Amino acid sequence: MASLLVSAQIYIVDIGKIAFDTDSDSLRDFILSIELGSRHVIAGSLANITNGGGTSVLAVNLQRWSSVLSRQYFFGKNTLNYALREISPYTSGIWIDWGTNGIGISSAYSSFTYKLSDRETEVDQTYFENITTILTVESSYHTQGGNTKVNVTVSLLNEDKPALANQILIYYRAAGNWRIAEAASNYEMTDYGNGTYTASFDADIPSPTIEVSGRVIDQRQILVQANVTSVQI
Amino acid sequence: MFDQKGQIRIIEAFLSIAVVFSAILVSANLPSSPNLSRQQSLASIGTQALVELDVDGTLANLIVQQDWAAMKQALDVMLPLGVSFNLTVFNEEMQQVNSQFIQNSNVLGREAVSVQYVLASQTPSVEFLVLRLQLGWAN
Repeated sequence: MASLLVSAQIYIVDIGKIAFDTDSDSLRDFILSIELGSRHVIAGSLANITNGGGTSVLAVNLQRWSSVLSRQYFFGKNTLNYALREISPYTSGIWIDWGTNGIGISSAYSSFTYKLSDRETEVDQTYFENITTILTVESSYHTQGGNTKVNVTVSLLNEDKPALANQILIYYRAAGNWRIAEAASNYEMTDYGNGTYTASFDADIPSPTIEVSGRVIDQRQILVQANVTSVQI
Repeated sequence: MFDQKGQIRIIEAFLSIAVVFSAILVSANLPSSPNLSRQQSLASIGTQALVELDVDGTLANLIVQQDWAAMKQALDVMLPLGVSFNLTVFNEEMQQVNSQFIQNSNVLGREAVSVQYVLASQTPSVEFLVLRLQLGWAN
C-alpha cells in the first residue's frame, strides 16, 4: 500500500519536473531569439551604413528593436537596453577602416542588457554582439613583352571565420583613373569556395606603381573595401 | 472476543481495498498532467524550429521575399511528423503580412498551442516582424 502511494507521489513529482524543464527550454529559446534579433539588427544596420547610410542608423534600429520587444510581452515587464561601443576604434558602435595597406574592416559592436520579470520568472541577461567583416587584398604583377599581368588575391572573413562573398569587384589605377578589372583583357576570377578568390588580368599600365582595389559585399550585404599597391615579381 | 477480532479484520480488509481503489482512481486521472507537458513540448518544438530558421536569417529573408510556399516547406521540414501548424506573419504595426495561408492542415487538432516569435531581418532596411505559430498534434 505504502509503496503504491510512494510511487504515485514520485510519478507526480516527475511530471512536475518535466513541465519545469520544458518551461526552462522555452525561456532559453525566447532569450536566444532576442539575441538573434539583436545580431540581425546590427548586421542589417552595418550593411546600411557601409552602403552609404548614416551612422545613426544603428542606434535608430536598436531603439526600434527594443520598442517592438517591449510591446510583445504581456505577462510582465520586458526591457532591452543597449550601449553602443565607444571605445576606440569604435565610434557610436561603428568601426569602418578601408585601408591602403590591403586590409579593410567594417564592424559594429553593441552590448545589451535584457530584463524580464513576471510572477514566475526573473531574467537579467547581459550579452554583446559584434559583427565584423574583414577583407584582405594582396596583389602582384609581372611585365613580359610590354604586357603587364596582374594577380590579385582576395580573402574575406566574417567574425574571423572564412566567409563567402556576394559580389567582388576589382579595380586598378591607370593614368590616374580607377578602372574595373573585369573590363580588362584576359580577366579571370577563381572562387576557391573557402572565402578566398583570385583574379588575374592583363593591363596596359604605364606607371611602375600599380594600385589595386578590392570592393566586396558579403552575404549579409555588408560592404568592405581595401586598397593595396601591387608588388612586382 | 474472537468474533470481534474477525470483524475488525474484515473492516480492515475493506478499508485496504477502498484505499487501493482510490489510489488507482487517482492515478487514472493523472494523465491530465502529461497533456500539459505535451502542450509545452509542442510550444518548445515550435520555438526551436523558428530559432533554427532564424539563426542565419533565412526566416526573415523568406518573409521579406514573400516566399510563403518556401516558408511552409521549411516548417514542414523542421517540425516533426504529426504536428499540424498555421503561421501568421505580422509587421511592426501588427498588420498581417502573409497574403496566403502558411499551414499544413486546416485543423490543428487536439491540444493546440500558440507561439509568438519576434524577429528582425538582416537586410539593410531592417524590418521587424512578429510571427504567430499555432501548433497542434494531428492525432
